[in-house]
Amino acid sequence: MHDTIGFDTVTPDLWLANEQIWKERLINLRHWHKIPLINSNASHNLPDGTLVRFRGMIQDMHNPEFYFNQFEVYNTATNEVKNKSGKYRDTANILENEKINYTENLQSAQRQTMVVVSIPGLNAWAQKIEDTQNHLDLTEPNSSKRLTSATKLKRCYDDTEEDDMEVEQDETCKEQKTKETENRTANVVSREHLLNFPLPDVASKSCIVKIYTEDDQLKLNEMIEVVGFLSVDPTLSGEFQPEKDPLVNPQSENEVEAITLNPPPSLVPRLHAVHVKKLEHCNPLVEGEFDQNEVLKQANSAREHLLKALTELLLGDQLAAEYLICHLIACVYLRQETLTLGSCCLNISNMPTRRYPHYAKQLYDIIQQFVTKSYYLPLTIENMNTMALLPKKDYDCNRLTSGVLQLSKHTHLLLDETQMEQGRLDATGVGNITALGNLIKTQKVEYDFKYYKMDFESDVAVLILSEGKSLLPSDYHVPLRPEESSLEIFDAIVEAATYYLKEDIMNLIRMYLTNLKLVKYTIPDDLKFVEDDFIEMRRNSTTEEPVSAEDLHRLLVLARLVSLSRGHDSLNKECWEITKKMEADIQNRLKNRVAPV
Amino acid sequence: MAMRDYTADKETLKNFFIDFCETDDEGHKRFKYADQLTSLAHREKVAFVVELDDLQETNEELAEAVRQNTRRYTNMVSDVVYELLPDYKHREVTAKDALDVYIEHRIVLEARNHRIPGEMRDPRNRYPPELIRRFEVYFRDLSSSKSLPIREVKAEHIGKLMTVRGIVTRCTDVKPLLVVATYSCGACGAETYQPVRGLQFTPPPACAADDCRLNNTSGQLHLQTRGSRFQKFQEIKIQEHSEQVPVGHIPRQLAVYCRGDTTRRAQPGDHVAVTGVFLPLLGGGFRQIVQGLLSDTYLEAHEVRCLNESESSAAAEALSEAELAQLAEEELYARMATSLAPEIYGLEDVKKALLLLLVGGVDRRPNGMRIRGNINICLMGDPGVAKSQLLAYIHRLAPRSQYTTGRGSSGVGLTAAVMKDPFTGEMMLEGGALVLADQGVCCIDEFDKMADADRTAIHEVMEQQTISIAKAGIMTCLNARVSILAAANPAYGRYNPKRSVEQNIQLPAALLSRFDLLWLIRDQPNRCVPTHIIPDPSEKDLELAKHIAYVHQHGAQPAAATRALPMRLVRRYVALTRRKQPAVPRHLADYIVSSYVELRREARNARDVTFTSARNLLAILRLSTALARLRLSDVVEKEDVSEAIRLVEMSKQSLQQVDENVQRGVSATDRIFAAVRELAGSGAGATVKIADVLERCIDKGFKPDQVDACIEEYESLNVWQVNQVRTKITFIWTVVSRTVTQKEIGSRAVPVNSIDGLYTKEKNTLAVKRLQRQDRKSSKVKGAPRAARRPSANTRDPWSA
Repeated sequence: MHDTIGFDTVTPDLWLANEQIWKERLINLRHWHKIPLINSNASHNLPDGTLVRFRGMIQDMHNPEFYFNQFEVYNTATNEVKNKSGKYRDTANILENEKINYTENLQSAQRQTMVVVSIPGLNAWAQKIEDTQNHLDLTEPNSSKRLTSATKLKRCYDDTEEDDMEVEQDETCKEQKTKETENRTANVVSREHLLNFPLPDVASKSCIVKIYTEDDQLKLNEMIEVVGFLSVDPTLSGEFQPEKDPLVNPQSENEVEAITLNPPPSLVPRLHAVHVKKLEHCNPLVEGEFDQNEVLKQANSAREHLLKALTELLLGDQLAAEYLICHLIACVYLRQETLTLGSCCLNISNMPTRRYPHYAKQLYDIIQQFVTKSYYLPLTIENMNTMALLPKKDYDCNRLTSGVLQLSKHTHLLLDETQMEQGRLDATGVGNITALGNLIKTQKVEYDFKYYKMDFESDVAVLILSEGKSLLPSDYHVPLRPEESSLEIFDAIVEAATYYLKEDIMNLIRMYLTNLKLVKYTIPDDLKFVEDDFIEMRRNSTTEEPVSAEDLHRLLVLARLVSLSRGHDSLNKECWEITKKMEADIQNRLKNRVAPV
Repeated sequence: MAMRDYTADKETLKNFFIDFCETDDEGHKRFKYADQLTSLAHREKVAFVVELDDLQETNEELAEAVRQNTRRYTNMVSDVVYELLPDYKHREVTAKDALDVYIEHRIVLEARNHRIPGEMRDPRNRYPPELIRRFEVYFRDLSSSKSLPIREVKAEHIGKLMTVRGIVTRCTDVKPLLVVATYSCGACGAETYQPVRGLQFTPPPACAADDCRLNNTSGQLHLQTRGSRFQKFQEIKIQEHSEQVPVGHIPRQLAVYCRGDTTRRAQPGDHVAVTGVFLPLLGGGFRQIVQGLLSDTYLEAHEVRCLNESESSAAAEALSEAELAQLAEEELYARMATSLAPEIYGLEDVKKALLLLLVGGVDRRPNGMRIRGNINICLMGDPGVAKSQLLAYIHRLAPRSQYTTGRGSSGVGLTAAVMKDPFTGEMMLEGGALVLADQGVCCIDEFDKMADADRTAIHEVMEQQTISIAKAGIMTCLNARVSILAAANPAYGRYNPKRSVEQNIQLPAALLSRFDLLWLIRDQPNRCVPTHIIPDPSEKDLELAKHIAYVHQHGAQPAAATRALPMRLVRRYVALTRRKQPAVPRHLADYIVSSYVELRREARNARDVTFTSARNLLAILRLSTALARLRLSDVVEKEDVSEAIRLVEMSKQSLQQVDENVQRGVSATDRIFAAVRELAGSGAGATVKIADVLERCIDKGFKPDQVDACIEEYESLNVWQVNQVRTKITFIWTVVSRTVTQKEIGSRAVPVNSIDGLYTKEKNTLAVKRLQRQDRKSSKVKGAPRAARRPSANTRDPWSA
């Protein structure tokens, strides 16, 4: 690994001296495993100023910062004048008898500040693979490398916990923290507040990333991988503000804001990006060049396994399993003004909740083994009334307070409506339900900026599990038809499924689900069979069951998923017929409804 | 850039202030700056505003220099004004506050103690200029300069004058900010002054006066608040407006520091344009202390101006060359219409109508009366015909709009509410959606779901464009100059063909007549469309299928629709058209009159569900002025009027069409029969030539065999007789025929008698002419007589004899 040499020792100064070459070397690097990934390696084990990586989702963007690109340092002892650069660093790193010349030869430049949080909803298996791939054996850093001047100020949040944070452990930590903090000043805010993670009860990391180039056009909620210099100087924390005399400084900066925007770097490290890569997916199993033909060739075998497992889990209902596969590989592929195509929000109703009250959760436990990112949200009255689903701008702290619906693309959201009981929704609850409805219908989430609202595009696959038809809208509605025999032995089925889904089959399915979202799909120009069918459908439509343009959209979207799942990258008549059959079967089921089990 | 000659600039400015004058309308010369100087000298004003427009007129180069290095010139102007002030002081000024007294004392003291000219003084003991000056200098940006989006404010703008727009998100309290700190020494009593430029300062450690320095006493300094000078200070934060933010980004913010006169100009939520100097903040803030390598930036305000809604939109910007070229392509009207919600297929006429709604007609105010120019449209239709999408699109496109649903809003929520302030007990008016949408569009979805009582609250708005309140002792009239765009489902959720049109719509006529256009959009499979309109029943479906398939194939709209103009361009063009005030030329009056008369006549012949009233005439005029506006013309052309009439007719047809489709066989015959009767005139025994009948009916789009069928059918019913050679029809009026037809056609379909003495063309023409003459006065007066005449018309109907 001769080409990785140097990346562990490079400093901002070295990098700056030869920026072009370093950059080329980085891009040509085969894989970046040797550059420590702070998602998997705790940042407190790394010295200030090392080159590290971070993978995450852009959660917020702050105002641009003006930093000193070039400045002069004057040494009062030796009368020496040195030129320094503030690029890729937060602190000037000057000696005691040195002074920055603030009046002359200053060159300002602008850099972007973004808050990046670890990808919300990333499932345990993906995290585990990522950890093993990227784990580095880090020795305790040389203490001389860390800033000594500030160690007495340093209060390391991370010291008390390990990198694999468990939720329970987390809670005890939090208690500790709050006790500790109460003793200190009153203006210390909670750890959760600082981390600002979209999903509650999930351990996460966040980073403040400073970006020096502007041509990337990064958008909110995009997944990125950042390579940059770590900056963990404890003085960066907003808690260490010197006491101010109100008369001397009448205009005191908002303290909550300062603390929130400048969290302790031990908790939220700063990263000065030298390179930012946008990620299409975050499945650690899918790496390297994307080979469409290979993917399509392997699709059928993976589909067989998946179909088998899902059919069993859905109590022998193969049709529902087909739909579920389509749902799992769906993603938005076209977006125009008010039209969004590709999303496949599925509502499976008729859950056998009477016999298995936790059926939905059990199903989710399996699904989360397949998909890279997912989140399980029980639709209870309490959840709806109390949770913050929509991100909201907090002008006191001047940041975007995240909400559950701030998810990166291709995240699977499972809404468990079987948990819903009768009750009263308050204003928040109604707002949350509307937000979920809008997400399903338009794949857009409305962020609240108080003075106005802004729509942000999202691409979240929503699966609703319910007893009757869901109160939320859905693209496809499948009433489950369980087989009596399977109902009896569901617990055994789950066990068998876990046994059947061995690691290699699992990985096959995982890769299948991620890869199919990347396949480029085309529709042939000659669509006579589609057009004819549509005209036929319109002719047979009645007022009770009207056939509209909407239905053709749905059919075409479903046909796309059916073809893709079977490893075809274009629409053919066969898949179209299958699709039509599926829809017709569903219509039949809806017509001849059976009593819920 | 070469160094500017600042002394010369100073001289230029001085002369500029003395000499600059404007000539007002009456020919009087007004010395703008000299006047300002006078009021400054008499302490009547604090702010001295230099308009760069004026400066540019005199010295273009200097104006540019000011823009580039505003801070420096602010100080220079301050010096110049200070020098000039004594010349403009015409009378003694009484001291207004303690600081005035202090200043006077100081000036006197200065004169007494230092008579020797040119004597050097310790800078610390000299009065800093800020201490003695009680005025503030502000520059006003060139009116031609464009406002910068907050996102574009970069490092290269530091030190320059610029204008940004945004929405205020935070305002601090107005606090006193120390400008000059005055200290007195505890040992020697000397005063020390310290000008403060930033937001923070460090007090000097010891007295630097000669006495103390020589004696080495280093006396303690005490801050004298009464002798120090403070200034009002306020920090506001502005944030990008939502339309300036690129997709997927978070709005950016900018801190604005307001001092003195620029404070208290805005409140959170206001749209503002701020002119100011972009500056780095040195030696202040937490970041400076801790990190050392960052500088916060701020905008030092010179002018803070609240914008009203129309100004704040991007529409104010001029169109660029490329955009003009894009617009210049032919068929702008049709293209712009298809650019509205391009992903919604078809509905061209509805989109055209919506485009005209955005443009709006011309308001008329003859003799203090107001005739609205805003166009109201009601879309009615089956679920799933993209009504809500259209509404949502218009809501996004219109620069000012409100979106509500009928279910969620009460009459109070739409109009205005009187609230009691819990603290003061004062009554306050709170505007509802319609008031908030003043000068814009109010989209009301689910219009039919609204309670009747609430719906009537809109009546006043729709015609008078005001909201009157008489509640809790508050009596007032609020402006609500809105266009209403309503969407409604038919009364039974879906259009029920088994019921009549009135039953399906179920909105009161008073409300319906206030809508200029009422569209019924039905989602019908093609088989229902009469064959004579579209020969192949599946053609339309095929087209739809092709369209959808295309979208899926190519990930874009088909070529015809991709020419759609970008939303921003449409928005700006519409804003441009709204500046035009086209008028209807006299020679078009006749044309409009005859067209209107024709409409009225047709309305009588066909069963008119919305009844054509004088309001329709106004609607035609509004639509035609809107069309003229769209062409950016000042005059309404004949084509505008005919297009307006076409739209009105199409909207009526959209209602009628339903009727025909339901019972086509009867209906076609029915209409042919009506046509024949019209030809025949009144009374039994009237005759018509079949050739004439054929000609008339084919004109109306019927086929010859349909006419034949009709003739035969009614012949068999003994309504009329056909002569042997089948060239003539003679009516026979018998009781038998009447009962049979009634049974056959149903009472609903009894044709209205066309020969109605009260509806002569002359009378209608008169009404129209009177309307025209009165410059389109109230329509109420004309509407009433017609309603009153209706019963009498029925009694004269020979069918009911």
